[in-house]
Amino acid sequence: MSGREILRVLLGSWSGRTGVLFLAVLVFVSLAVVIVLPLNFGSQRWNNPAEWADNPKAAAPGWTTLWPGNDAASHRIFDSSIPREITQVGPSQQRTYAFDLDYDGGALPTFMSFALSDVRFASQPPQISVEVLRPDGRSIQLYRDVVRGPRPGEQPPYARHFDEPLRINLSGSRETLESAARFLGREFDVQSTAKELAGKAEQVVFGTPTSANLDGFTPLAGRYRFEVQVLAASPGDTIGGVKLVLAGTTFGFMGTDATGRDLALGLLFGFPVALTIGLVTSLLVTTIGTFMGIVSGFLGGKTDLGIQRFSDIWSNIPLLPVLIFLIFVLGQRLWLVVVIMILFGWPGLAIVVRSMVLQIRSGQLVEATRALGASRLRIMFRHILFQIAPFVFAQMIFFTPAAILAEAGLSFLGLGDPSIPTWGQILESGFRTSAVYLGYWWWILPPGILIVITAMTFVLLTLGLEPVINPRLRRAR
Amino acid sequence: MSLAMTLAMRGLSLLGVLLAVLVLLVVVLGATGFSDGILKAVVNEDIRAMRTGLAQTIRDPDDLEFALDAQRAELERFYGLDEPWYQRLPDMVRRVITLDLGEARTLRTFEGSAHVLSLVMERLPYTVLLLTSSMAITAVLGLLIGVKLATMVGSKLDRIVSYASAVSYALPAWWAGILLILLLAFQLRWLPAGGLYSSPPPEAGLERFLDLLWHAVLPVLTLVIVSLGSWTYTVRTMVLNTAQEFFVTVARAKGLPEGQVMRRYILRVAAPPIATNLVLGLAASLGGAILTETVFNWPGMGRLYYEAILGADESVIVALTFMFTLLYVAARFLLEVLYIVLDPRIRYSER
Repeated sequence: MSGREILRVLLGSWSGRTGVLFLAVLVFVSLAVVIVLPLNFGSQRWNNPAEWADNPKAAAPGWTTLWPGNDAASHRIFDSSIPREITQVGPSQQRTYAFDLDYDGGALPTFMSFALSDVRFASQPPQISVEVLRPDGRSIQLYRDVVRGPRPGEQPPYARHFDEPLRINLSGSRETLESAARFLGREFDVQSTAKELAGKAEQVVFGTPTSANLDGFTPLAGRYRFEVQVLAASPGDTIGGVKLVLAGTTFGFMGTDATGRDLALGLLFGFPVALTIGLVTSLLVTTIGTFMGIVSGFLGGKTDLGIQRFSDIWSNIPLLPVLIFLIFVLGQRLWLVVVIMILFGWPGLAIVVRSMVLQIRSGQLVEATRALGASRLRIMFRHILFQIAPFVFAQMIFFTPAAILAEAGLSFLGLGDPSIPTWGQILESGFRTSAVYLGYWWWILPPGILIVITAMTFVLLTLGLEPVINPRLRRAR
Repeated sequence: MSLAMTLAMRGLSLLGVLLAVLVLLVVVLGATGFSDGILKAVVNEDIRAMRTGLAQTIRDPDDLEFALDAQRAELERFYGLDEPWYQRLPDMVRRVITLDLGEARTLRTFEGSAHVLSLVMERLPYTVLLLTSSMAITAVLGLLIGVKLATMVGSKLDRIVSYASAVSYALPAWWAGILLILLLAFQLRWLPAGGLYSSPPPEAGLERFLDLLWHAVLPVLTLVIVSLGSWTYTVRTMVLNTAQEFFVTVARAKGLPEGQVMRRYILRVAAPPIATNLVLGLAASLGGAILTETVFNWPGMGRLYYEAILGADESVIVALTFMFTLLYVAARFLLEVLYIVLDPRIRYSER
């Protein structure tokens, strides 16, 4: 059967067509991900907490707000490098960055954070302050500081926070809470301490107290203006950028996990990883298994006996326990998982291929070729291989989901490669931190669904390839 | 080849499997230095016991340390820690077989013992309980439905089962388990999410036993759901293949009632391959049990595996790897015996 015929058979059935369609999507997404995301995404970004610090923790996907009755604050990031206003104050320059936010009186941001990057100054360090102007005309200061001045022996221009931005979690900062306490006392005659206000910064900023003790706050809807003021001593001093994050209760397309990681990115990165694991493993298992099976069946004698005895034992070893043991002892490396699956996977196929080769070997075609003087190699890898090729191809497709599922299971047990995020690992981190019990379905369901869909794709392809496998050959098993 | 010979050959091959895993275990452990770690832990444990004993008789701390150091050197020589690892292989094989692997680092039995052997043995019954009960339910249901399906090939139900069979190959049991927990335990609150007993556990007797069964429902249900589709499909196909044989046609032509044809002519012949698939399925679900028990916090050997990985307890992992292989080999051997019982051709052919 030629490649074109196989394709025709495949596209002739419902399951084959669906499988091909799914596979096309999987391959397309994988290619796009490999092009867009860096290959060291796992170690550089996914497992780097600083990367995700500004994201809300364990936030549901953004589209959940579309459900009726679901009140949620969306994730807002205000980012600017150009001041909206510059005023001259004596020799210094007052630069104002302003961001507007319309608050509807619903869910509050889960936290507020402020970041400052790439500050350069000639002599005097700039002063930074962050202030909120509320719809009721009142204002509250969230942050005030001076960038660190010159160290002894340091030469101007002085650069600060250039490789990593200065990041302040305003909601948890003592200064912010103290300022909030002063604000309550000044504007509403409510006496409080920073300690009492812990975890209530958002309620103070976006509401008015209902009583003299801190029982409750009425949300204050309207337009809020966040102003970042930078007082630069000389006009040549520069600020790379200011960033204000009002963390929502929802985030992005797939939500975040407990450390704020964007699950959409992790899930996307899982596509090429899963496909690679499946295809590399199955390709090598079929190659080695077919080769050994042909050699064993065609040559016979001691070679055959040796290979068959070995395969008999090796193919009966239960994979998962051995995989767990070897990965635990030898180290959590993805390539190692693939190598082990190949080592333990090929003997099963070699046994089946051998039984098919035995039948072909005694057939007339091989007899005729031999009579024509073809070499043993030529008979084995041209005439015999050609006859079993469709079966071998179908076996390769059939073995692919097994490899993907085995890796997912191993990752789920906590033995995944820490430098490469996979769907199994995302599930594992969710399971280990009891996302199941906390009801973080967006963390648990999508990776599992993707694993099942990917495995299902290859099962559908196998079903579609069923007619390709010659029934006469199948009976030889 | 006589019957005993056939059985012995298969037994030998399966023994080879066990031996291969054993050699793999000890060689990897030795070459990576893990076996040194395990033996040193054993030595430390002995020394600790000795210290409490000797402290009664030797009062002077320096003398005590000196005596203990001498003991330690002797123990290390005894365990072969002064030799290269490959000379200790036979001893290590014996240790793995008898699960004489010292004490677990952090894991404890319910009574608080850290002994690896008692730890594994305590968990074994729970794994066997879970696997055999889910297997029995699957087998009975699959036989009933599969036989029925073989008489209605091409019907809607038949097609549904064939799709379910395809899906179950792609649906990992642990993931299905998580789904069921989310749905039945948290959304609908019908069943407990995991564990062995409610807290506080019922005192004893019938109530305690019922509580155990109650907690086993969800894991068993999961295992049944994920394996029922493919198992039913297997039975259906096997029955169908046999039903097309000539002797079945002859039986029908003789006018035998359909029930008798099914029981005596079809099922009797289809039984060996069906049994093969059943035990193979059981063996395969062993691996699945590691994950399913983890999901359901079911304190069997699978959950122990997960806990040992979390706690980096190497002795326990070695013991469990061996135990799972042993269980697998035992199940396979059972299959061979079953095959001979079921298939008269093997019994009578070479007489």
